[in-house]
Amino acid sequence: MNLFQRIPAAVSLAALCAASAAHAGALTVNVVDAAGKPLLDAVALLEPASGKAAVKPMPDVEISQAKRQFQPRVTLITVGTRATFPNFDTVRHHVYSFSPAKTFELKLYAGVPNAPVTFDKPGVAVLGCNIHDTMAAWVVVSDTPWFARSAANGHARIEAVPPGNYRLRVWHPGLPVNTEPTPVAITIGAADLEQRAQLAVTALP
Amino acid sequence: MSAFSRLMPDWFRRSIGARIVALSLLLLFAVQLASFSAISASLGAHARRVLPDELMVGEHVLNSLLDQNAQKLTDGARLLAADYGFRSAVQSNDDETIVSALDNHGARIGATEVALLGADFALRAATDDSARTLAPLAALLAPRAVNGGVASEIAMLGGKPHQIVLVPMKAPVVVGWVLMGFPLDTRLVTDMRNLSALNLTVLTRGSPSAPWSTALTSLPPALAAELAHETWNAQAGGDAAMRSVHLNGEEFGVHARWLTPAGNGQDASVLALVSLSIDEAVRTPRDLQIGLATITLLGLLAFMVGALFAARQVTTPLRELSAAADLLGAGDYDAPVHGMQRHDELGHLARAFDQMRSSVGDKQQQILQLAYWDSLTGLPNRVQFRDAVRDAIAQAKSTPAADGTAPTVAVVMLDLDRFKHVNDVLGYRVGDLLLGRVAERLSQQMVRGGDLVARLGGDEFAVLLRQGDAALAASVAQRIGAAFDEPLKLEEHTVDMGAGIGIACWPEHAVDADSLLSRAEVAMYAAKRRTEGPVMYDPSFDAASSQTLSLLTELRQAVEQNELRLYLQPKLMLHTGRVSGAETLVRWLHPTRGLVPPMSFIPFAEQTGFIRTLTMWVFEEAARHWLALQAEGIPMTLSVNLSTRDLLDPDLPIKFDALLVKHRVPAEAFCLEITESAIMDDPTRALATLNKLSELGFKLSIDDFGTGYSSLAYLKRLPVDELKIDKSFVMSMEKDLDDAKIVRSTIDLAHNLGLSVVAEGVENVKAWDMLRDLECDEAQGYHMGRPMPATDFHRWTTAWSTKQRTGPAAAASGFMLH
Repeated sequence: MNLFQRIPAAVSLAALCAASAAHAGALTVNVVDAAGKPLLDAVALLEPASGKAAVKPMPDVEISQAKRQFQPRVTLITVGTRATFPNFDTVRHHVYSFSPAKTFELKLYAGVPNAPVTFDKPGVAVLGCNIHDTMAAWVVVSDTPWFARSAANGHARIEAVPPGNYRLRVWHPGLPVNTEPTPVAITIGAADLEQRAQLAVTALP
Repeated sequence: MSAFSRLMPDWFRRSIGARIVALSLLLLFAVQLASFSAISASLGAHARRVLPDELMVGEHVLNSLLDQNAQKLTDGARLLAADYGFRSAVQSNDDETIVSALDNHGARIGATEVALLGADFALRAATDDSARTLAPLAALLAPRAVNGGVASEIAMLGGKPHQIVLVPMKAPVVVGWVLMGFPLDTRLVTDMRNLSALNLTVLTRGSPSAPWSTALTSLPPALAAELAHETWNAQAGGDAAMRSVHLNGEEFGVHARWLTPAGNGQDASVLALVSLSIDEAVRTPRDLQIGLATITLLGLLAFMVGALFAARQVTTPLRELSAAADLLGAGDYDAPVHGMQRHDELGHLARAFDQMRSSVGDKQQQILQLAYWDSLTGLPNRVQFRDAVRDAIAQAKSTPAADGTAPTVAVVMLDLDRFKHVNDVLGYRVGDLLLGRVAERLSQQMVRGGDLVARLGGDEFAVLLRQGDAALAASVAQRIGAAFDEPLKLEEHTVDMGAGIGIACWPEHAVDADSLLSRAEVAMYAAKRRTEGPVMYDPSFDAASSQTLSLLTELRQAVEQNELRLYLQPKLMLHTGRVSGAETLVRWLHPTRGLVPPMSFIPFAEQTGFIRTLTMWVFEEAARHWLALQAEGIPMTLSVNLSTRDLLDPDLPIKFDALLVKHRVPAEAFCLEITESAIMDDPTRALATLNKLSELGFKLSIDDFGTGYSSLAYLKRLPVDELKIDKSFVMSMEKDLDDAKIVRSTIDLAHNLGLSVVAEGVENVKAWDMLRDLECDEAQGYHMGRPMPATDFHRWTTAWSTKQRTGPAAAASGFMLH
């Protein structure tokens, strides 16, 4: 299921200005919620307007469970990256994902499961625990190397982007399931760019 | 009222108690009925008042039931949606698998329709076609479901009302929605019925224009069908609290609640009707009815017992009083009345009744006293005496004497002489005193126990000698006669008493008590006539007795049939010897008995008043004879005796005058003789008559002068011309000096008053001479001539006159011609 093509636009992105540079530039996206407040853990991706950028799997990432919470809540990886799910709690967890990006389940376990999980398709996988309904984590699997996750100030800075035309996609776990604002065309030059993105998010799920 | 009382049974009319009981019960019943009606009305009114509230409560209950149901279904659906296997199956993306998972897992919790929607409410899968129609509902429910609330609605699915719930499917975020439909089943109406006692009917229709049909109901199907026929329209401003509907003749309060919200995108509607029978609600609860009926019944019982008791309190004393009254009626005055110690009205009545009892008893005693006792003397009266005689005879009959001789009963009866005279002269008070003393004397003579002295009435007394024979009776009679010899002293008066005493014995003289008394009476009258001691009854008296009884008739016949004869007794002038007049006397020549003596009928005639007829007869005869004498040349005055009754007849002067006119006789031809006692009976009237007679010209004479008690002063006022000295004085004056003195002083007195004097009872020449010496005017007596028939008198007079002419001295000396 292609996440990026199906979802109708629910958010509008305002392109501010386009600057072109001969060498790689950086884009800072300021993500705010419906009330205009900065959003943490928002994900910004830049896809080339044409063609496909080659990505390499990243080193294994760890999505641990402690105090009956996934840590981190949002993990940003490239396609092919493996994730481990160490359990630091004294109780067992049953981690699963029904998401098309990666469907799996790690049946009741304690400690570190034997095999890491490889996320081999782009998209968002929502992770849950079958024992603890409140536990949720998102793994965003990117097929582009240019992405960033927003900090508490809502700023997601994508570095070393070669100049060119791109589509900017912004996503946040608070968005309704399987929805994503319409990507915004953006041209990256040598200079740093700043982009504001307001998402129809009211509160963290 | 009378018609009403006629309807009452007999016992009811007769018994106060029954009426009290019946009235009490009736009143209590009325009160109970009234209170029952009041309670019913109040309960009914209350029920009507609270009906809308009850129905509202019913709606709340229904809401609550639906909510609970929704909660339950939601909880079930949630659990199901969270089921890992279910989620796995749903996420499998294999439609067949998804549908079978929905079917399978829905069936677990009783959902008949299950649909899976995407996070965007797009239908992804459904168990059947009707479930597919639910998608629009999901949009309605979603806002509630998103926030974790209960999202539930009622909707029509497959023509049946369903409760629809929407739950999110999380993995772990909301990745889709599960919509489940549960058919409304009878549990809803039963729960409703159990919780609120209200009926619930669920109506459905496919479209606003379609008719309603009943989906569920706790009402009888027929009623529900009628309910469905009513028009039910959604109301803008909310549903009315209550609507009154008549179903099959019964009134129901109905509250409608639309279960399908407007604008749910469906044409079909579901309507819940909470209903309740108003009739049943206002009807008094059965247990209350039973309670009231029981109270009424117990109350009636208690009242009946109480009223019976109260009635007995009244009727028992009343019955006792009634019994006491019966006793009184039967003549028992001695038993005291019950219940006098009571302090209430009945006690008062009893005391009044007892007073009445004793006073009636006293009266009875008095009446008995009056009936059987003589109040003046205290002796038994005639009634008691008669009873006693009867008892004595009965007793004598039943007990033959031991020695073989038959027992006898004797009655001695006596009548006082001259008692009327005592009464006349000394007054009734002395008369009564005399009777008392006589009674005492008689009682003293009776020494034998069982003998009875009684006063029969007037001056009549009687003595009963039980077991007394004739000899005993005679001796008793003698003793009584002797007792009367001694004069009685009454205050300052001394009275000589005498009595006629008659004796009769049973069975010698009479067969029964009445005849015995009658015979004794006959004997007594005989004794009075003879005036010489007691007389024993003799059968020969009976003729005389019966003669007396028919005397009046015979006297009348005597007048009519000319049996009476006029006799004349000459009166002579003492100095000349000439016949100056004659006293007229009546004699009765009875056709069979011969000459009846005057004493045998004159007193009787005086008693009966027939004397007046006799007087008139004598007067008329005298007038006739006077005329005859006149014709023969023998002029004289004829004396006619007047009785008391004549004097008291105010018409007497007129009658006499008429006869004078009729016979052409002058009044001067007559001298009317009146006794002192005749005048003294009623002096005023007598004087009036005398004055009139005197005015007419009649000569008046006082007869039997000296035996009465007339005062001289009174005598002076009388218009009399003559005094006739009583013969008792004249006859004894030769021997008795006192009588001579009386004669002399009477003559002197009369002369002094200017009256002429006639001496009666001149029986010999000596008396004649003495009277002549005393200057008496006229004389009358056997010496000169006895009373003789009128025809003889003419002859006698002629002879006397001739003799007188030839020898007056001889005549005066008493050579009588008879």
